[in-house]
Amino acid sequence: MTIDPSIGPDKARELFRAELADVRTDAELQALRTRWVGRKGSWVSAFMEALATATPEQKKAFGRGANELKKEVEAAIAEREAALAATRRPADAVDITLPGRPPRLGHRHPLSLIRDEVGAIFTRLGYQVLEGPEIEDDYHNFEALNMPEEHPARDMQDTFYLQTPLMPAAHAATAEAIALRTPALRPPQPLTLLRTHTSAMQIRHMEMNAPPVRLVAIGPVYRKDALDLTHTPMFHQVEGLVVGKGVTLADLKGTLAAMAEALFGPGTGVRFRPSFFPYTEPSAEVDIQCIKCKGAGCAMCKRTGWIEILGSGMVHPAVFEAVGYDPNEVTGFAFGMGVERVALLKWGVEDIRLFYENDLRFLEQFGL
Amino acid sequence: MKVLLSWIREFVDVPESPEDIGKLLSVRGLALEGLEPHGDDVVMDFDVTANRPDCLSMIGIAREIATAYNRPLRSEGDGFSHRHTAATAKAVALRTSTDGLPITIEAPDLCPRYAGAVADVTVGPSPQWLQDRLTACGIRSISNVVDITNYVLLELGQPMHAFDLAKLGGGAIVVRRAKPGESIKTLDGKLRSLSPGMLVIADAARAQAIGGVMGGADSEVTAATTRIVFEAAYFNPSSVRATSKALGLKTDASTRFERGMDLTAPARAMARACALLEQIGAGKATGTIVDVFPQPPTPRPVGLERASISGLLGMEVPDAGVERILRSLGFDVKSASAKATAGHAGWSITAPAWRVDIKRPVDLIEEVGRHHGFEHLPSTFPGVQQAPAASDPRIVRDRRVRTALLGMGFSEAITFAFIEATAAEPFLAGLDPIALANPLSEKFAVMRPSLLPGLIDAVSHNRRHGRRDVQLLEIGTRFSPRGETRGAAFAWTGLATADHWSGARREVDFFDLKGVIEQLAAVSLVAVTFADADQAYLVKGRSAKIAVGGTTVGVFGLLDGAVAARRDLPPGDAVYIAEINLDALTAAASLETLRAAPLPRYPWVVRDISILVDDTLSAGAVRGTIRSAAPGFLIDVREFDRYQGKGIPDGKVSLSFRLTFQSFERTLTDEEVQAGMQHIIDALTRDLQAMQR
Repeated sequence: MTIDPSIGPDKARELFRAELADVRTDAELQALRTRWVGRKGSWVSAFMEALATATPEQKKAFGRGANELKKEVEAAIAEREAALAATRRPADAVDITLPGRPPRLGHRHPLSLIRDEVGAIFTRLGYQVLEGPEIEDDYHNFEALNMPEEHPARDMQDTFYLQTPLMPAAHAATAEAIALRTPALRPPQPLTLLRTHTSAMQIRHMEMNAPPVRLVAIGPVYRKDALDLTHTPMFHQVEGLVVGKGVTLADLKGTLAAMAEALFGPGTGVRFRPSFFPYTEPSAEVDIQCIKCKGAGCAMCKRTGWIEILGSGMVHPAVFEAVGYDPNEVTGFAFGMGVERVALLKWGVEDIRLFYENDLRFLEQFGL
Repeated sequence: MKVLLSWIREFVDVPESPEDIGKLLSVRGLALEGLEPHGDDVVMDFDVTANRPDCLSMIGIAREIATAYNRPLRSEGDGFSHRHTAATAKAVALRTSTDGLPITIEAPDLCPRYAGAVADVTVGPSPQWLQDRLTACGIRSISNVVDITNYVLLELGQPMHAFDLAKLGGGAIVVRRAKPGESIKTLDGKLRSLSPGMLVIADAARAQAIGGVMGGADSEVTAATTRIVFEAAYFNPSSVRATSKALGLKTDASTRFERGMDLTAPARAMARACALLEQIGAGKATGTIVDVFPQPPTPRPVGLERASISGLLGMEVPDAGVERILRSLGFDVKSASAKATAGHAGWSITAPAWRVDIKRPVDLIEEVGRHHGFEHLPSTFPGVQQAPAASDPRIVRDRRVRTALLGMGFSEAITFAFIEATAAEPFLAGLDPIALANPLSEKFAVMRPSLLPGLIDAVSHNRRHGRRDVQLLEIGTRFSPRGETRGAAFAWTGLATADHWSGARREVDFFDLKGVIEQLAAVSLVAVTFADADQAYLVKGRSAKIAVGGTTVGVFGLLDGAVAARRDLPPGDAVYIAEINLDALTAAASLETLRAAPLPRYPWVVRDISILVDDTLSAGAVRGTIRSAAPGFLIDVREFDRYQGKGIPDGKVSLSFRLTFQSFERTLTDEEVQAGMQHIIDALTRDLQAMQR
């Protein structure tokens, strides 16, 4: 396109500004420069040529304007040139949209995350966190917990028993140490079963330590349940035990409310429902407010607004007597919660078996 | 326990909706499991806990509702309007008779009370209302006489039985232990052999019922029956439980008796049954009700201190509330406060006979607490009397190992601790497996001797589900006759390097795994050494034992192909595995005694050396020679090249080492370093016939 030099500088400026606004690339900018301020054939050169033959009045009227316009055009082009350069990627630039080279990093198992989280909550509340043996004797798993020989839970249908009872050296040594502390207690018993709850650990702790007690025991436990959506023959349990002077059911409520809020979010309410366990009296099943509907009632909570999460209660005097504590001197609370259950609720996992398949497609959904 | 709302309402005025009742009872100890319309009526299904057999009845549930709503309970329901008029004879002898039928208890330890009544009957169908009630509660209607026993069972909780009197040989009832070799055909048509010790209800000749479990077929009430004996008795819980278990026979009666029934109920139940018999026109009792109850026990009061209630619950319950709740539940409440000191003021409480669960003050406090309402419990926290003791040190140790392995790319697995016997077999190390007596299935038959079988199966699962690269770790317990140990295992198959567009791919090999172990050792602050492993499940020449100070703490290497194939791994997969005994590792670790060393203040000097040696010579041996010949200021030896091939004679290998010298006392001189190097070269030449290149 040629430029009509008969257009005065003011009109030309307007035209230039419009053209400059449309410039997007370096090439377009170069073309624009040639057209307006190039040595030959540009608007400026044509205008200057035309001015050479003009009357002195015209020279005087337009000369300065043309020079100013030339400077202005050059400055504007230089400015745009710099702006374009600033957006241009250097020759050795990488394609940042290509995938990164991932350093090796594994994912935590969800049950392990819950174990740690619960452990951390109770550590913060001043508890010691304990782990214990998974193969137990009858006495620590049942009898000391006020579940005498004829108790239904001791049935072969609910408990896994060993083919051959065991008496490993370490176990015999512990039993001896317990006998030294409380001679009235049982002589060493052979190990016969897989613990059905971590409560067995609590008995062991109380046998070896005088009150006060403030602990959580975490670990795998075993019950003879067939594999289905909600059952596995091995699962994990967190059990808490607090024993001391003046420990009350209200203390249990406050503690569990604090745990529920820490695990499931602020404002998660808890509800106590009276229940029955041989090793606690009074006993309570504890519900949390449904984490999905916040108590309004939905399919997940069967329209009740509450979801059962654990069993708890005040330690039965018979349990204290079994470990050599005086039930007239101390009281205590205990609770037991399934780690899997918390994980199912917290992350909306619909099949408990996923926790034991160890499919990386599942595991990699969880963090570190 | 399924209850019918209309039936409940005969005992307590509770106009509230079944939903409302269910909601309240659920927070008072009876969880509502189901709610179903039944004509104009509603069936409510309550979950009754094992300690409350008294609630396996209409009156039991009604009593809880009455207490929960603070309404009076009518202990004789509206349906009781038609009274049986016959007087109840309170017999105290072990042997007595009704209408000419002698009843003898020969085993009062197993049956302390036995009531009987003879009646003339016309057997036929029950009236519709009675049939409806039974059906609603899940019991099939059989005939008017049998239905009455079940009706009383549901209403009062007392199991009953009816014998056809004509079939009772010798016209007598004897409550005794079974004789050796004795058997009975039960109502379900099965012939059952009894062992001595099981309690039977017999006629003069033979057993006609298994006490508290099931009646016999021979004396069953049939359409032809005209004269019956009703039975209402108390049977010993342990005895019924043992018998029911031994025979594999669980009935409505046995589940109640084995939990403990109401010793006072047989007389009431019998009166109720006789009244119903007349009411529905099914017959009439002909003699007195005979109640053989030689030694009625004296109820024992339980003391309840006022202070212990708030002491245990952490909430105050006013005295009036305590008394109201306990009286409403049938307890006899006497104030014991008048003469007692302030601290011990309280009550003397006698539990009703149906409350077999009440033994201690805490049992009473539970009653008070749950009916006052756990919703009134404040939220408080237990006081701290001393600093909490330390947690299990394994937790921190396991976390350190887990974190290190996660950081090296292994994802965490958790597998079942019981595995298949064949999967465990290669890992037993000569010890017996810990086998379960009653495993869920063959897949879960023995406790794992090692974490590896479970982990290998997890790798196999992932490989079979299309995952090429698998890195898994597990930390858990291993079981052997020597006890439990905690281990960490990890497995790696597929690519060693990140699968990335920019780079070359390389499969995982021995040295990737060895590197992981060296890193673990580094963060656990232990020095490890390696030697050839001899585990059959590892490939020879591609595996090693890990030792700390002479103690083997683990093994690692390439998984044997045959073992891999047995666990369904795709053929040709190279799976590298490792297992470390964390307990043994911890015993050797020096984390507690760690002292930090200052940083060196003098410069280091680096010298490279390349030598030719026999290719059978291990790098470890060369390194050993270098170290033993080197001056004290050699601080590091590192292999940086190993080469065989063009330019190297057959049977030889070229090894290149980078040696770093540094003193903590001064700047080393060239001469010192050169002398040291010469010493090393001389030793290599002399001891290993090495040639410097």
